[in-house]
Amino acid sequence: MAEDERLDAVAYLDRFFDELRDEVRTNPKFADRLVKAMGGKVVFEDATKTDIANPYILVADSSKSEFYSVFSSLKQSQLKKILKDNNLATSVDVRGKSASQLVDMLYDRASLKVTERKSSYF
Amino acid sequence: MTATIAAIANLKGGVGKSTTTVMLADGLSYFYGLNVCVVDLDAQANSSQMLLTERGVQMAYEQGKGATHLLSSFIKGEPANVAEFIAPNAVTLEELRIAEENDERLGWISALPSHPHLRLQEMGLEETWYSQAGTPTSLAAKLAEHFKSGFDALREYYDVILLDCPPHLSPLSRAGLSLADVFVMPTIADAVSTWGTKQFSDWVGANIAPDLPKRNFVLITRFRNTAYAKQVASELQDIYLKDRWFGPKIPESVHVLNAMERAAPDSYDTFRGKYGGVKGDVKRLSERFTDFLSQRTGHKWQKMRD
Repeated sequence: MAEDERLDAVAYLDRFFDELRDEVRTNPKFADRLVKAMGGKVVFEDATKTDIANPYILVADSSKSEFYSVFSSLKQSQLKKILKDNNLATSVDVRGKSASQLVDMLYDRASLKVTERKSSYF
Repeated sequence: MTATIAAIANLKGGVGKSTTTVMLADGLSYFYGLNVCVVDLDAQANSSQMLLTERGVQMAYEQGKGATHLLSSFIKGEPANVAEFIAPNAVTLEELRIAEENDERLGWISALPSHPHLRLQEMGLEETWYSQAGTPTSLAAKLAEHFKSGFDALREYYDVILLDCPPHLSPLSRAGLSLADVFVMPTIADAVSTWGTKQFSDWVGANIAPDLPKRNFVLITRFRNTAYAKQVASELQDIYLKDRWFGPKIPESVHVLNAMERAAPDSYDTFRGKYGGVKGDVKRLSERFTDFLSQRTGHKWQKMRD
């Protein structure tokens, strides 16, 4: 199929990078992985925080205040989604909790899991 | 040649230790022409079975080859002449067999196979040892001394010795781990296996290798391309094991399962035929592993095939 279209090498590359750009724009998780793979630091924007902010990584690599600065601006529903998506809480656990209680829960439980899973020897 | 001894180990079972052992043996011998010896210390004998078949494992045992005979030498107080117990041909790849037939050896695999009898034999030894006021630690230390004398003599004949370790800390397993220059830790991208990597790091770090991070090559196996697995894999690489060297992710695939079943003791297949859809993964595994060894030893291996 590609041979019939008779595109030159630059046109192929343009198509490839167009596809890549589109995917990065519309898929924040992919964009996050790509930036990390290239050694960059991911910037969390409100619109994509729920998709890409990983509480485990933030707990391990950032201060408590940085952690809270990323999550405190989120709505209850977004926090509940993050807690559930990261296996840090069930629907029962989050029932009736305020946003600030949910952020506390997120921090406490993510910290505990990181401590449990990281070697205590190294 | 001065072989590097690599223990393929994890205290958790079912993470792909034997499969990793066989993929490494095939990849290193096929792509880099290395002379590899696979030492199976696991009584389940899975890597032995994958290389030699069930019939081949039994034949080796009956011919005086394998880890049970090495353990017998310890029990009888005889020297550890490991070379005597090695099955010299554990090659399953047609390309290697043909090259050997034409006197153009480009990579080879030998094996010190295991046998299900190994665990019973070890239990018998433990009973005797403990009845004489010995401890698991003193037995592991004596076994390690015995093995060291045997494997040190073997180092000049091989480039890499792969120790397929069982998923527990029996004296035999501890002796094997203490011989290792490097540790290959296969793991699965899930919560229980992640916790298993902590147990392994804690125990090996405290008892065998205080510098484990520098000597540890981690491989995520049976990888499914799901959001959950991607997240756990990223946490392993970015948080829990961020100071380790990672290999490529090996996918969960029917090609892997097929590659690990040899049709008969005299059956061979081409590399492409054996590994099918995962041949690129095995190639990347051997590339990453030789990079890891080069960074430790300073020696650079050249690819013999592509």
